[in-house]
Amino acid sequence: MSANPVSLPLAISDEDFRKFREFFYRKTGILFEDSKRYFVDKRLLERMEATQSDSFRAYFTMVRFQAAGTELQTLINAMTVNETYFFREEYQFTCLVNSMLAEIVARRGDSKRPIRIWSVPSSSGEEPYGIAIYLLEHWPQIDQVDIEILSSDIDTSILTAAREGHFSARSVQHLPANLLAKYFRRRGDHYQIVDSLREVVEFTRANVTDPADMRLHRDFDVIFCRNLLIYFDDLSRKQTAESFYDALNPGGFICLGHSESMSRISSLFRVRKFPEAIVYQKPWGAR
Amino acid sequence: MALKKTTSNAAASADERQRPRDLPGLLTALADPDPLARRWAARDLAGLPEASSGLVDRLAVESEPSVIEVILTSLTRIGDERAVAGLTDCLRSDNTMLRNAAIEAMKQLPDEVAPWMGRLLVDPDPDVRIFAVNVLESLRHPQVEEWLIRVIAEDAHVNVCATAVDLLGEVGSEKAVPALHALKDRFGDEPYIQFAADLALKRVRAD
Repeated sequence: MSANPVSLPLAISDEDFRKFREFFYRKTGILFEDSKRYFVDKRLLERMEATQSDSFRAYFTMVRFQAAGTELQTLINAMTVNETYFFREEYQFTCLVNSMLAEIVARRGDSKRPIRIWSVPSSSGEEPYGIAIYLLEHWPQIDQVDIEILSSDIDTSILTAAREGHFSARSVQHLPANLLAKYFRRRGDHYQIVDSLREVVEFTRANVTDPADMRLHRDFDVIFCRNLLIYFDDLSRKQTAESFYDALNPGGFICLGHSESMSRISSLFRVRKFPEAIVYQKPWGAR
Repeated sequence: MALKKTTSNAAASADERQRPRDLPGLLTALADPDPLARRWAARDLAGLPEASSGLVDRLAVESEPSVIEVILTSLTRIGDERAVAGLTDCLRSDNTMLRNAAIEAMKQLPDEVAPWMGRLLVDPDPDVRIFAVNVLESLRHPQVEEWLIRVIAEDAHVNVCATAVDLLGEVGSEKAVPALHALKDRFGDEPYIQFAADLALKRVRAD
């Protein structure tokens, strides 16, 4: 042993990476390919430095065994960068108009009940307004079937912003020009959604982890809850999924984010593999 | 267009439940013929620490998977001794769904499950010992490595050891090296044990 030990720069070995990759996959369902090695190493090293861990092993042991699980959650946040913009993960909207709604309409017969869609969390409104635009543009039956769109968030200030419907240029950058012109009004350096859409999308405050709030949200046919559950601890994630089950009508669908899997959270839902997307369904006939 | 403003939003939704939401009322609702009522009762009982006995008792007779799942979540949320005892009993169940859900629930309760672990890992039933190792897979507890080393050093059943050695590759340290070598010697003609122990040795030494 050296009398004057030199502190070596922190590094992630190939075996460390493989060990971390297996652990992280088991915890989150997110699998990092070898091509993501630089990204993973960079974030791991940042967290190791932030927690003053002197080796990968020390850091991994902390993440693995820390009773509160806070460092694992911080690491998950660092590894899952999310940004909200219109038509994000559009393939699920395609699945909504091509597959999910077709099945719901076929099963409901001549019911006059409106189809209810819940978007949670609302954030600043890109998702619920995006669903409304997508239905108007891509679902021919919109003229025959009533649809209600409800969107909820725990944050009342973001709900106020969502009701106002102001969006940055970055937020609308993936929208085709014709839709931007049709559904938005230019307001200086940003865009505001047209009043006709602001009037039909309802926003409510809800904490999805609070059973009392969740009890008041029910009779939905489709729930979009994308890139939220991944930020919860395992037990809250499971409780929320169980509350969603009771918020859905039989045969109702839930759409999660691309890195989330209901199969890892709850066994209550059926996995449905449609051509456009994998979604989760409360079985027809379930009560 | 047929996008309609919702007329049945959260603020206007009535709470249609019939019984008082206190312990006696909720325990009565837990036996309701309607699984939806039972799920809501089980969910609300999570807020009452004295509810674990009633939830464990219901678990013994409940056949609806959706209700079982909510009961287990509520027991996990309560996490008292009676709740943990009920969860460990589920490891002996023939109902695979119940057993697996109980394993997942126990993983969430490291400090509460720890006092039971020593007993579970020497249970006469090797399946129960395997399920106990399955719990260790995600148990955030400082004794996990120690428990696993004891398993591979002492358990006579190859499948129990195989389950434990897999996990040691992830959570083990240099402390596990002698036990891993001893395991290889003990199961010299078991190719899987040789492979898994070699991989674990490679990983615990990789620093």
